[in-house]
Amino acid sequence: MSLLAWLVVIVSQLALVAGQIFLKRAMSRREHRGEKARGWIGLLVIGITTMTVWFLLWLGLMPRIDLSKLMPFEGISPLLIVLGAAAFLHERLNWRGWAGVGLTCLGVVLVSAS
Amino acid sequence: MHDHLPAAALPKPAPGLFWNPYLQIFLTVLLTAAAQILLKVGGNHYVGDNSIWSWLGLAELGSWWTWAGILAFVASFGGWLYALRFLPLGLAFALTNGVHIFVPIGSWLFLGEHIGLLRASGILLIIIGIVFLAQSVAKVEEKV
Repeated sequence: MSLLAWLVVIVSQLALVAGQIFLKRAMSRREHRGEKARGWIGLLVIGITTMTVWFLLWLGLMPRIDLSKLMPFEGISPLLIVLGAAAFLHERLNWRGWAGVGLTCLGVVLVSAS
Repeated sequence: MHDHLPAAALPKPAPGLFWNPYLQIFLTVLLTAAAQILLKVGGNHYVGDNSIWSWLGLAELGSWWTWAGILAFVASFGGWLYALRFLPLGLAFALTNGVHIFVPIGSWLFLGEHIGLLRASGILLIIIGIVFLAQSVAKVEEKV
């Protein structure tokens, strides 16, 4: 994989994590009333835009990179989301949650690589 | 490190089965899987079309199957946003991996695609992973 391809993969995965965090922030803020709820539509739009960037970059990678090389990144995306949610949303998983995330990641890699 | 999700801080959904956020995640997964298959069927109508419109994914918009797929995607996004109001992001996103179970099964049923040993093992791992995730949710809800 070329340096550029690596860069695009990293940016696309960052966009996925950031986009989902923005969506979650938007929907959480929407629950509040009055002043505290302000700006949730802005966050939603940023989230959808960031997800669109991820989608287009990912679509662009598909024909250029062997699927077997690309799919492990698809597999680790839930793990990246859990880490991003821990860092920015202060979410915590118990050991069953971590085991679940690990197993589904591995499963996605196998399904995608086959 | 805390051994629980901050579930107590999350709002409670409206009563009724349809408004259960886990059901909405399940519907999101089913709709996403259906969307993938519908888009594939729509795209299959344009195999051999090497025009620039086909490369940009625009020629495929001429098929009703493609539009049905797009509609299913939009509907799945609604369920996803709803579920995000009530569930932690990490957990909800991990549960959406269920789509990797339904796409191969749907492709086998409707498109006649083959499921090999590797793919079957992957599906099994995802199912076990989702059982673990469900148990982690049950533990959290016991504590709340």
